[in-house]
Amino acid sequence: MNKFRLQIVTPDGIEYDGEAESLLVHTVTGDMEILAGHMEMAAAVGTGRVRILTGEGKLFASASGGFLTVSRGEVKLVCVTFELREDIDLARAEASRLRAEEKIKNAKDDRALAAAKAKLARAINRIKVAEMK
Amino acid sequence: MAGASMNGIKARIKSVESTMQITKAMELVATSKLRRAKESAERTRPYLDILGRAISDCLSSPELSGTAWSAPSSDKTLFVVIAGDRGLAGGYNSNVFRLTEALSAEGEACFLPIGKKSLEYFRSRKREIFSDRYEYAAECDVGDAVALGEELCRRFRAGEVGRVVLVYTKFVSMLTQAPTYTELLPLKQSEATGTMPEIESDPEELLDAIAPSYVGGVLISALRESLASESGARRSAMNAANKNAGEMIDSLMLKYNRARQAVITQEITEIVSGAEAL
Repeated sequence: MNKFRLQIVTPDGIEYDGEAESLLVHTVTGDMEILAGHMEMAAAVGTGRVRILTGEGKLFASASGGFLTVSRGEVKLVCVTFELREDIDLARAEASRLRAEEKIKNAKDDRALAAAKAKLARAINRIKVAEMK
Repeated sequence: MAGASMNGIKARIKSVESTMQITKAMELVATSKLRRAKESAERTRPYLDILGRAISDCLSSPELSGTAWSAPSSDKTLFVVIAGDRGLAGGYNSNVFRLTEALSAEGEACFLPIGKKSLEYFRSRKREIFSDRYEYAAECDVGDAVALGEELCRRFRAGEVGRVVLVYTKFVSMLTQAPTYTELLPLKQSEATGTMPEIESDPEELLDAIAPSYVGGVLISALRESLASESGARRSAMNAANKNAGEMIDSLMLKYNRARQAVITQEITEIVSGAEAL
């Protein structure tokens, strides 16, 4: 398959920089797969899983918040968090899920509730990705 | 008389020494913090770089360049001012405030201070404070930055503020930190990239989704740069303080020894003249 250049960055650094055959992301309008030669485009990325076909194998990851651009044949995924399945600490994710649930119960205003809900969604997503086979 | 001045000098040496102990400890703490803060600031740089280019690519689309996101809807400017939580960092805090004052001299302005010193500064001058929720700069994490990004975007869209300017300190090197500013909103294309992305959804909706993560992303990197700068500035300031304290102790020591010598000489003169009188 044809390859394209993929860059994935988070505030903690460059998570992926190299060739890829396909990138599957969860955008706010639905799942989307990018292959080489894709049209120029931009899309917002929600909390969800990411799958990368590198040509040698598959990489799964959980991502949240950010956006995706395709321009000049380069794909850039800019997100707030990005964790490869191998790097996810399942125990920590479970703990943060429990904490988020606790926070939802005790949320005093809409703002806190929304923040706690987003936290829960991230934790659940992380757990889902970690348990994926 | 000489004995009294000797005691005075001794007391001063002691007090300078104890101050030096504090500044030395602060320098050590700042040095170890600086290393960590510098690494985290440097890790964020490629993110900011790619983030900026990606948003530029988006805005180069004619569909996206003419939306409400690129046109100010109010005359009011919001300054997000990142300063430190503590003083004793040389000119770190005051440089940021001076730049903010220069930028906000004209037109209607309100302020969102991040960091305790920043909050105190604008509060004591009775400026309009947008939110005092971000009192501690060192405790702001990625989640806070994203939440703040969302809030800023919401207020901008609601027309409460027409411009959002971020004032922070850029970490140039261990010895140099430069106060700087960047315009967060309205969204601006930084360079003409000449590509026209296909838009998956409604352009306005797309920017609604992208803008908060862009603003949040810039805030994260500015926060990290500022934290590294603060440690750097404090380390330099404490280093200078140590040097000054050392020099002061040396010159006080010299004075003390002179005074001691004078007392001895006087005593000898007294004894000799006493012996002669006998």
